[in-house]
Amino acid sequence: MAKFPSVRWFDAVREVFNGDESVQGGGGGYCNCIAGMKVGKDVFVLTFEGVECTEAVKADDAALDDVDFYLDMAPADWREMISNIHSNNGADRHHTLNTLDLEREDGLATSHHGDQYREDLFFRYNQTFQYFFNASARIRTDF
Amino acid sequence: MSEAVDTSGEHELDLSWMDQKGPWDTKAEESRYGLTLADIQIGEYGETPDVSDNLTGRPRGSAPRPGSYRIGNYAVRTKNEIWLDNASFLYEEALQRQWSSATDVPWHTIEPLPDDIEQAECQLATFFTEVEFVAGDVPARWVSETTPDFFEARQVLLAQVMDESRHMDVFRKRAMANGGGLMQATGATSGFVGSIDLSRDFTEMSSRLHLSGEGAVLTMFRMGELMAQNEAEKAMYRLCAQDEARHVAFGVMHMRYMSAAAPERREEIHCYLDEAEGQIVSGVGNPAARGGPVGESLAILLGGGKDKFDEGMNMLTAIRRRQFREYKKRIVSAGFGERFENGRSRLMEMFEEAA
Amino acid sequence: MAKSSKASKAKTAKKAPAASAKPSAASDPAIAATPTLVSSQAQGKADSGQPEKQGPVLDWMNKTRQWGVRVKPGKAGLRLGDLNVGIYGEIPMQWSDQSRNPRGAVPRKGMPPVGYAVREKVGMWADSAADLYEEAIQRRWAPATDVPWNTVEKLPSDIERAICQVCTELSQFANVEIETIAGWQHQMVYGYHEVKQYLATASFDAARHYECFRKRALVNGGGLGVEGPGQVNRMILESSGGWSATVAYLVLVRAVFTMTILKYLARHAYNDAERFIYEHVLQDKARLLTYGLDHLHFAVAHDDEQPAVLATVLAIGDRVLTRDLRDPALREALAIIFGRGIRGARRQGMEMYEEMMADFMQTHLGYCRWLGIARAPAEAMPPPLNRHAGASVAA
Repeated sequence: MAKFPSVRWFDAVREVFNGDESVQGGGGGYCNCIAGMKVGKDVFVLTFEGVECTEAVKADDAALDDVDFYLDMAPADWREMISNIHSNNGADRHHTLNTLDLEREDGLATSHHGDQYREDLFFRYNQTFQYFFNASARIRTDF
Repeated sequence: MSEAVDTSGEHELDLSWMDQKGPWDTKAEESRYGLTLADIQIGEYGETPDVSDNLTGRPRGSAPRPGSYRIGNYAVRTKNEIWLDNASFLYEEALQRQWSSATDVPWHTIEPLPDDIEQAECQLATFFTEVEFVAGDVPARWVSETTPDFFEARQVLLAQVMDESRHMDVFRKRAMANGGGLMQATGATSGFVGSIDLSRDFTEMSSRLHLSGEGAVLTMFRMGELMAQNEAEKAMYRLCAQDEARHVAFGVMHMRYMSAAAPERREEIHCYLDEAEGQIVSGVGNPAARGGPVGESLAILLGGGKDKFDEGMNMLTAIRRRQFREYKKRIVSAGFGERFENGRSRLMEMFEEAA
Repeated sequence: MAKSSKASKAKTAKKAPAASAKPSAASDPAIAATPTLVSSQAQGKADSGQPEKQGPVLDWMNKTRQWGVRVKPGKAGLRLGDLNVGIYGEIPMQWSDQSRNPRGAVPRKGMPPVGYAVREKVGMWADSAADLYEEAIQRRWAPATDVPWNTVEKLPSDIERAICQVCTELSQFANVEIETIAGWQHQMVYGYHEVKQYLATASFDAARHYECFRKRALVNGGGLGVEGPGQVNRMILESSGGWSATVAYLVLVRAVFTMTILKYLARHAYNDAERFIYEHVLQDKARLLTYGLDHLHFAVAHDDEQPAVLATVLAIGDRVLTRDLRDPALREALAIIFGRGIRGARRQGMEMYEEMMADFMQTHLGYCRWLGIARAPAEAMPPPLNRHAGASVAA
């Protein structure tokens, strides 16, 4: 059981994601970027290298200056997404990252630097990020 | 006493070719991502000429033969016309992130839909089947006209041709998978002046194809994922969007290189962007525009039916705001942001009106 | 033709109840002639991004030539060839539409042509194209990560030099394949999209070959050698008179030659990385060979002139190929690899090379016979092809 949000939770998801070779095909594969996760006031930074998520660390707002993009949702919205993923063994069609992004006025994925080339990595590796969060269906989450 | 060596039946060898070679003692090392194109860009083999004199098609770094015929006839021999700094990276990424429309899309999740929704989906699928391979045909033509000295950029374009082929096919599959069929073509990629097909300069073509065209289509694919009725459509649009984002990245990075390496061409590039933005605004170059078969299909799908058309149109308008904003930021990232500061671009004006 | 008959037995093209209510554009010229997109958009009406005041037009609805199609995925998924049902599987011998109208869609009249040079089925078709397309996608591989590069170990300098020379020339062969296919692809009409799509995989394969041979040359203390003599390269690139003639050179001559080399290289590989490369390039090339043979078979079957044209093309090809074969670089490099060094090259290596060339000619002539393309007797061929062809006869 890992509490969301926490480094322990992201590490547990990383372990499932990194150990599942099936997510390296079917539109997954190389993913090289640094992605921020903003859960209310909590900030986490995930590093993706090659076919793995190599690191998850707790950080602060200033760290978001350096990430390629970050996903920003209120804790309740994160909880809804993760619960949905758990219930359906993967996000249903109303809770995919892209859908959540487009349904929000300012989007789910954003950045401090405003460089669209770097923000576009959210689209370029979208299937990988979806695989990553879908992997959370295979751990027990406590909120 | 030495034993006589029997040399009868031995062939005489010339072996003079052994002295004709490129730089030797090259030992590329694998990186953590395997042996990538970037890993073999070492020593002279990693050097790309500003202007290529390779007209015989020899691999870059190999020893030339003085007697070789000039069979290449390459139109693109100047580096800044096609180059981008992350080509090796994009190519390896494209190789690793390939997918199959036959087996990676969960087709079994498709179920019968209301007729208006199915028609809208099929109209959209017809449109994508029609337009996606312009982005295959055209890059292919440019590949054949580009010196292999810039092969890294060519490799990315060849991956794009492959991607577009898959897009052309996945939408044809969608149109025929659920009780519908193809509908009417739009003629969107016909031979208009200023079209992607007719560009006679690679950068002009890239500005139209990779930045404005595929940027717009990327938005549409993302919309497709949003309004998908089943997991198959979700996967189809999401995977296409990934590919499209890679193609857009090619355009942004090429423009960035061009901007830095050939500042004398900046004004000319601005003219291409003026034209492309005019087309986005008028709707000619923007399939996500209002009206017409594609815009109306999108509105029906976004709203959830013909009877919710206005709701869908409002959503489409909101998403177009995002499209404009993302386009603007890509142009800024490519190094041409001043057009949004000095009033040259009409796009922001349109954006402000819509906001 | 085979596809048309297959289409007539379409398993899924039964019309849904709603289908009969939908008008057919083919029977209603007014529908096909309504340029909705052009009237509202191409005329330059500014789209401010504001919501429409008036309601939707929706005049695109119900415009279809066949509705009610429901193709189901099979064991191998939903494949491109599965879609050839009903009218969507009708593949005419001529395709006059110069737009990107998808086959089976309602065309839009009055569009400026894109411009295609190859507009006849006989000029490009192969029944196997759709299957080859899907096969290429399923059998993809990545040189960076799938080749066991760590198995490459230091080799004697003569052998390393020879491998690097062969890799240089094979990389150049791949370059010609890329430029040739990419140069033709955009000239082919949309109506035969299966071929265009297969060729997209073929040029992508060639890109991978260009890459992996370069990688092998640069990974083990060597480098690139001298460029090839290029006469056959020139011949392939200059065969601009028709795609079928290009296929004859690209496939019947070059691909068969390359595949033969790869077979022998795989047998004489020095490590698992090389073996992997040769075997995987070989299977990619086998798809190109299948397309080429299938296309030429179709062309010969449907165009009475084609066998004689191809015979002439290949006779010219013989003379050009002999010029390349006179160059010692590739021949001796292969002999060194087969003979495990210069010393061994003089006897066993060259004997293996001769055997390989006889194998090549036998295979090449066998395909020509199967296609019904007349070839000169071995004695009438220019040297050294006559020897290789004779050797095959003697064998």
